[in-house]
Amino acid sequence: MTDTAALAISEDELDTLVSIAIRRAEILDDEGSPAADDAWCEVSAYEQRLAAITSPSGIAGGVARVGAVRATLAAGHRAEAEHLAARYLAESQLPAERRAAVERVFQEDRDRLARHFPALARTGRLAEVAKWKASAAAQGSRVFPRAA
Amino acid sequence: MRLMLHRLCSMHPKLRAYRADLVKSGALALQRAGHVSPAAAVVVHDGLETVAGIEWLAEDLRALELLDHNRVTEDGAEAVALTYVNVKAGWVVKRRLQRGDHADWLMENEDGSMAVEVSGTVAGDPLGRLGEKKRQVAECSLPVYRLAVVVGFERPSILAGSV
Repeated sequence: MTDTAALAISEDELDTLVSIAIRRAEILDDEGSPAADDAWCEVSAYEQRLAAITSPSGIAGGVARVGAVRATLAAGHRAEAEHLAARYLAESQLPAERRAAVERVFQEDRDRLARHFPALARTGRLAEVAKWKASAAAQGSRVFPRAA
Repeated sequence: MRLMLHRLCSMHPKLRAYRADLVKSGALALQRAGHVSPAAAVVVHDGLETVAGIEWLAEDLRALELLDHNRVTEDGAEAVALTYVNVKAGWVVKRRLQRGDHADWLMENEDGSMAVEVSGTVAGDPLGRLGEKKRQVAECSLPVYRLAVVVGFERPSILAGSV
C-alpha cells in the first residue's frame, strides 16, 4: 500500500471522525479545559479534508467549509481562519447562504470576545486580543485566557 | 411504532465508531426514571399525536454513579430521537454539526437533508423546551429540512416540531 493510499480516507469515514472530534471539543470547551484548543485543531483538520473532497455547492461541502473556518477560529488561529475563509469565499460555486455563514462566524467571534473583554470592546481594542494571543502562542505559552 | 434503541447503530452506521454510547445512555435515562422495557411513549409530531413503544436492553444502573447526570439525559435523548426519525421517515445520520450551525445532526434520506436539534428533559415541561429548540434550529441557515426533537423521560414522550 502506498502512503497516498494509506492516507486516503473516505467522506463517510471523515464524517464519523469529525463527529467524534466535535463532540470532544465541545465537551472540553464546556469544561473550560485548555485541551479544547487542540481538540478544535483536530476538528479543523477533518473539516478541511472534507472540504477538499466535497463540492462547495453541496450541503456537505458547505457545512465542511464553514466548519473548518469556525473550528480554526475556536482553536485560536485567527490568521489561519481568515486565510481559509478567503480561500473558500473565492470558490464561485459556494452558495450565498454559505458565504454569509462564513462572515457570521467572524461576527459571532467578535461578539464573544466583546462579552469576555467588555473594557477592550468599549475602547475599540479587541483586535489586540488576537495579537496578544498569537504572541503568547509563538513563545510557547499556554497561560493566555482560554476565553480569548 | 417500535423504537428499538439497541438497533441504533444498524439504523445509523456512522454511529458505530462514535465514542459516546448513546444507546447505553438511552437505557440508563429511561431506567433512572423508573421505566422498564418496553415503555409506552406519547409522540406528538407537528401536533399529530401517536404512541410508540421504546425498547432497550437493560443496563446496570450502578453505571450512573460514574456518569454525568446531564450527559446521560442529553445522550439518552439523542438515542431516542435518532431512532425515532429513522423509524418515522428513514433519516440516517450524515454527521454531527458544530453548535454554531444551530443543530446537532445533519441527516439524509431519499428526499434530501435535514438538520436536527435534540434535547432531553428529566422532569418539567417538554413542550416549553420544544419551543426553545424550534427557535434554535430555525436559526440554522442551511437549505435543508429542520426539525427539533425533545425527549421527556419522566413520562416518556417524544415531541417533534418542524420549522
